[in-house]
Amino acid sequence: MKDRRWIALCTIALIVLAMMNLPDSASRRVKGAVRDGISPLQAALRGGVRELREILRYIRGIGDLALENRALSEEIVYLRGEMRMARELERDNQMLRDLLGFVKRSPHRLISCEVIGRDSTGWWQTVRLDRGAASGVAEGRAVITPAGLIGRTVAVSSHTADVLLLSDPACRVSVRLARSGVFGVVAGLGAKPGEQPACRMDYISRAADVQEGDEVVTAGMGGLFPKGLLVGQVRRVVPHEEGLYQTAWIDSAARLGELEYAFVTATMDDLAGARIMAPDIPPGDESGSREGEEP
Amino acid sequence: MTLLMLLFWLIAGGTLQMLVPAWRHMGQPAFPFLLGVVLYAAVNKKARYFVLTALLAGVLEDSLSLAPLGYSACAFLFAGGIALLLRRDFFADKARIVMVFGAAGSATATGVMALLLRMNGLVDLSRGDIGRRMAGAGILGAVLMPILFGLMRGLERRLGLGEDS
Repeated sequence: MKDRRWIALCTIALIVLAMMNLPDSASRRVKGAVRDGISPLQAALRGGVRELREILRYIRGIGDLALENRALSEEIVYLRGEMRMARELERDNQMLRDLLGFVKRSPHRLISCEVIGRDSTGWWQTVRLDRGAASGVAEGRAVITPAGLIGRTVAVSSHTADVLLLSDPACRVSVRLARSGVFGVVAGLGAKPGEQPACRMDYISRAADVQEGDEVVTAGMGGLFPKGLLVGQVRRVVPHEEGLYQTAWIDSAARLGELEYAFVTATMDDLAGARIMAPDIPPGDESGSREGEEP
Repeated sequence: MTLLMLLFWLIAGGTLQMLVPAWRHMGQPAFPFLLGVVLYAAVNKKARYFVLTALLAGVLEDSLSLAPLGYSACAFLFAGGIALLLRRDFFADKARIVMVFGAAGSATATGVMALLLRMNGLVDLSRGDIGRRMAGAGILGAVLMPILFGLMRGLERRLGLGEDS
């Protein structure tokens, strides 16, 4: 009996060790398969939550009107509903126009994605996008919104991609101040998205001119992030009592807690790879990408 | 049937885990839905069901995050294994005891996970951060486990499934 228990324990230990030491490609394949399997459910759930929020907002509106005037409530509810829908349509219209304009203005090839989830374990600050390698998304690419940089892709499966947000301490970006050209490194503060400031800028020379409100943009060094992407604004400068540097607290330009859409920057190779993986996609059909243009 | 039941709860737990964001306070611990299924299997089912549940839950949890494959399974097996060893002497189907098991299991799994992630340089957490997070996970475990255990036991009774521990 004791022997059997030992054999079982050893077998379990071996299985766990094997899982932990799987080759990177095999591990990615397993995780990617699970992610791709659950991503439709994740997208549907997120859509459901959004719908529910809308309904609750609508019900709250009905309650208020009933208090104001019961006799007119039906008409008012109807009109308000119409107005709400019109406002929503207008907002969507404006947002889509902005996104379209942003894609046209952007010098990078962009792949538009919807945010379908957030890290639920709390160990990292990440969001999950509904596009993956099959759409041309590759690992280590900058992810942006019209407001500015939000992070970089870290784990890409066929149909999903995880983005490490600027607010994660592991996300480090080489940056410079747009006004004075002073260089530094931005790192996340680990704060939950929505709680500002999201990150801090380190290694700013003690003698450098840094002011509150200064815009922080990517320096383009290292090749990971394209040059000149807006990261945020300086909220506060903290000079160190000793040492060579000062630190600045940065408010991220994009609202990391309220992301609905994002764009992944892509190279020609990424997009070519996507077409090999999904040959039925005609060139230039990846929404948001700028296939037809010269690099 | 037991296996199907556990698979159903794993899918439900994974879905809830995706839907409910981590708690904003006490080091941002996640709500331990998947761990709840593992602990339930550890204290109510045969050991082989518990092991299988822990392994599957681990793969699911790691796939939902950036953790390398196997880390969560290791944490679940450790926390659930302790519950499995203690269940004959201490476990009883009372809310207070389930709360204690839930709190201890959740804090232990969080501690093991933090240790693994920190040892491999995947997160940058101080001992204070880890302690705070373990305490937060313990609170969530204490609150959540009696509800989860109640739901799982209730469904089993409705389906006429008996104990098979």
